[in-house]
Amino acid sequence: MTSALTDGTSRAPSTYTYTSRPRALPCQRSRYRDSLTQPDEEPMRYGNIMYDRRVIRGNTYALQTGPLLFDFDLEVKPVLEVLVGKIIEQSLLEVMEEEELANLRASQREYEELRNSERAEVQRLEEQERRHREEKERRKKQQWEIVHKHNETSQKIAARAFAQRYLADLLPSVFGSLRDSGYFYDPIERDIEIGFLPWLMNEVEKTMEYSMVGRIVLDMLIRDVVEKRLYMYEHKEETHRSPEPEDEPGGPGAVTESLEASEFPEHSMSQTQGLLLDGDYVQRTTYDRRSSQERKLMEETELVEQDEESAMRKSLEEEDLS
Amino acid sequence: VAHSQNSMEFPVNINTTQITTAYGHRALPKLKEELQSEDLQTRQKALMALCDLMHDPECIYKAMSIGCMENLKVLLKDSNSMVRIKTTEVLFITASHSVGAQEIISKGLISPLVWKLQVEREEEFQELILDTLVLCLREDATEALGSNVVLVLKQKLLSVNENIRSKAAHALLNVSISREGKKQVCKFDVIPILVHLLKDPVEHVKSNAAGALMFATVITEGKYAALEAQAISPLLELLHSPMTVARLNATKALTMLAEAPEGRKVLQVHVPTFRAMEVESHEKPQVAEALQRAARIAVSVIEFKP
Repeated sequence: MTSALTDGTSRAPSTYTYTSRPRALPCQRSRYRDSLTQPDEEPMRYGNIMYDRRVIRGNTYALQTGPLLFDFDLEVKPVLEVLVGKIIEQSLLEVMEEEELANLRASQREYEELRNSERAEVQRLEEQERRHREEKERRKKQQWEIVHKHNETSQKIAARAFAQRYLADLLPSVFGSLRDSGYFYDPIERDIEIGFLPWLMNEVEKTMEYSMVGRIVLDMLIRDVVEKRLYMYEHKEETHRSPEPEDEPGGPGAVTESLEASEFPEHSMSQTQGLLLDGDYVQRTTYDRRSSQERKLMEETELVEQDEESAMRKSLEEEDLS
Repeated sequence: VAHSQNSMEFPVNINTTQITTAYGHRALPKLKEELQSEDLQTRQKALMALCDLMHDPECIYKAMSIGCMENLKVLLKDSNSMVRIKTTEVLFITASHSVGAQEIISKGLISPLVWKLQVEREEEFQELILDTLVLCLREDATEALGSNVVLVLKQKLLSVNENIRSKAAHALLNVSISREGKKQVCKFDVIPILVHLLKDPVEHVKSNAAGALMFATVITEGKYAALEAQAISPLLELLHSPMTVARLNATKALTMLAEAPEGRKVLQVHVPTFRAMEVESHEKPQVAEALQRAARIAVSVIEFKP
């Protein structure tokens, strides 16, 4: 019943202090509701400690009516101490937590500042490194390009020098070969060569042919004459030999002379010509009996021989010249 | 009258702004469902509860694994501004952890955030968004660059509110860590504005601007853009600033600028300043060492002869 209202210290196995955990108090009242029919108020079964008369409190000036249960003021002290202590401790913890948090934040901030400055330093060094590297790359590239250009230029120069030398030889050789092939000519010389000399040779040939023809004709003539004389001589020997002594020196002489003439045509031409002329004159004067044909032939041979003579002279002169 | 009997009604809700969370590992799934509810109040309360829960990193991890991001993505476009603000706050808290930031990026929440930055008018909202962006951009900036974050940040650099300026500069700092970011920063002519910000009265604005410059001047274009905008003298002043981070950033930025021949010429006069920095000390040994090292590197870069 409510007499079991005493505080838990009497029944607690351990002391109740401010560090102990809250515990559910054992049930201190009747579990079941009172039937409302019971008007009995004397034993206050659900009695609040505050209204229990048997408890003495500081502010009750009521007379002690029943047997004392306990002195409230005395008993309340430890309870209050525990309560207040717990509250204060809790609030102290919270405040300390907040302070700790603030300190943490402050140190975090400081650390961040230091870290930022270190980071900046690292980045600066990185940047410097990058710049140096890029500069080096650029310089290397430049150098490489210079060397490359240098090489190219020297190659070009070498190629040019070589080509020049090659071609320098080429030009004279070309000209030489052209000249050798006869592509360069002096027009007058060529003209002379082409025009004059063949003509000259032609003429020389013609003249030589004429002289050959003439000689052949002369040979024919002489042969005829000789045959005829022979024939005449043979005839005349048969009949009489009166005009013979006049003829003989002239005739055989002429014959021999003409024979000589035919034999030695070139070298003693002028002599034979003269002799022949004399011979002709003698023949003309002495042998008028000869046919006019003979005379014409003789004149023709004279002319031919004259031409021959002049031609021979010319050729002789030319030979002298050349 | 207090009765010791259990009442039949639900227990009293102490915090009416928050929904009651379930116990143990059911808390998050239940909240997730409530986020999708039709009722505005439920959503708001669920968001508030989520916000409180998110302070615990394990909670964040768990929330990510059950896929709260999708819900948050939907809620960003909610009609009620309160919902949006709270969603952004949740995102901010998740972004402060690396897991959360990665999750945000992978779910593609950056573009809506950037868009929001342009659209929202309230300054606190903008600050929140900027904070979130700062944290996310630290992880990965590619998606943000795709959504033109540089232009948006450029506008914010000129805002009146100093917090917005400083956070925008910080965001630009994180953006320009990546190479693509640097190029975009140079392309959109943000550097002159940053140099102008170097003369700002507020210290943390200056330091963030110096930091952004420090990263942007790593590439050659950035260097020459900064030199043209006369960045050297403000940076030199910043070397004497009380904030350590400002000095560190300024030293680093000057080191970058000293790599260009023109910068080197100008800075050769100021080598003694750097030498003085080499010997100064600081209470925290790491910071002091960092400062000394930065000063030494700056001197060596300035005095470099090809």
